[in-house]
Amino acid sequence: MRAFAAILWKDLLVEWRGRDRLAAMGVFALLVVTVLFFAAPPGPLPSQREHLPGLLWVAVVFASVLGLNRSFALELENDALSALALAPVDRGWVFLGKAMASLVVLLVVQALTSLVFALFFDVDLASVAGRYALVAFLGALGLSSIGTLFAAMAVRTSYREVMLPLLLLPLLLPVVLGAVRATAGLLDGEGLLFEPLQLLLVSDGVYLIISFLGFEYVLDE
Amino acid sequence: MSDGAGEPAIRARALEKRFGPVTALHPLDLDVAPGATLAVLGPNGAGKSTLLRMLAGLARPTSGELRVAGDGDGRAARRRRVGLIGHATFLVPALTARENLRFAARLHGLADAEARAEHWLAELDLEGAADRRSGTFSRGMAQRLSIARALITEPALLLLDEPFTGLDPDAAERLASRLADADRRSGATTLLVTHDLARAAQLADQALVLARGRSHGLDEACLADATVLTGAYHDAVSALQGPRG
Repeated sequence: MRAFAAILWKDLLVEWRGRDRLAAMGVFALLVVTVLFFAAPPGPLPSQREHLPGLLWVAVVFASVLGLNRSFALELENDALSALALAPVDRGWVFLGKAMASLVVLLVVQALTSLVFALFFDVDLASVAGRYALVAFLGALGLSSIGTLFAAMAVRTSYREVMLPLLLLPLLLPVVLGAVRATAGLLDGEGLLFEPLQLLLVSDGVYLIISFLGFEYVLDE
Repeated sequence: MSDGAGEPAIRARALEKRFGPVTALHPLDLDVAPGATLAVLGPNGAGKSTLLRMLAGLARPTSGELRVAGDGDGRAARRRRVGLIGHATFLVPALTARENLRFAARLHGLADAEARAEHWLAELDLEGAADRRSGTFSRGMAQRLSIARALITEPALLLLDEPFTGLDPDAAERLASRLADADRRSGATTLLVTHDLARAAQLADQALVLARGRSHGLDEACLADATVLTGAYHDAVSALQGPRG
């Protein structure tokens, strides 16, 4: 637990001082929202609005991939990644520290993105804020957990910027599917739907366990 | 290479590392006595860093047996007993010197991280720069902080991977003196990977030459001085590399 807390503290402190990951992810997400706004302007018809939850999550997923890449690229400086690998603990705790730090950063970016998205696309997220926050949290948890595992795998490869999305995006399908459907249910006034929530919970749980156990081997040379 | 007294601090039997079709380290037998300093010498690509990283628990051997400081209870436990100083400093540039040391101590699960950090800042004359971010440090200062970072966990086995790289001769001399001093006081077993034969003769009491992943132990007499060691080293490298086509 001490190693987990130490890594979480370190990553958040470094992010607070530099804010480079937060800035890059935030600006990127806002650009994606802007591009989507001009590419698919929202209209009053239901058929023109049914794709909005998908667009929101596209912006979040792309921003998260950018942030996850950056999270481990920082550890390459001075070979700090080896220092993490040298921690005399089950490396699952190293994973958890990195993943939770990424989760915090992603949640901040998500809040900002959701706010701007709601303004641009005239979406009423305020009336479902509490339930949307739960869906956003579960979605971000899934992105951060499996994303941290694959970011650690990709970071030592020559084409890490390309490698991470190639490896990660197919695996994010259950998380994105659950998050989009749950968000759509909220925006359509159907409330928090059980099936997408179940999909999110199960995929989060599976990804957390796989990543916790698999990290021991990922940090090996 | 052991003096035979008690259990060796490092014991390797048929230790081998391959990366796909490339053999980085051919089967190696090695015993290093507790408290001894072993110099690992060899040209680039000889397998020195591979050996070091297996000892540190950063890389898994492809085959063979490896025991460090009498372990046998897993690689996580071994990492607790090992301190690594390399040409990379392992420092987080955005953290201050003090924060880097506290982070290292907490990462190793040590409860008294603050006290240890203050002790090692004083020990390596870094008190004046304690609140400066390590990213602003000169190479020499960063290397001193890197030493403090490795020693804060009081390792039983100290692994030094070309720690003098990039230092000017004065800084290298001061670093060698600090390492020898720390080594003397802690009684740690030390493994020094270096290209600097004079430094190896100065610090080591055992030597191993690696070339193309193959190894050859040198007699203790070869460490008498740099000239003797240089001759023995070149003979060993020639023998290990074989005739060049």
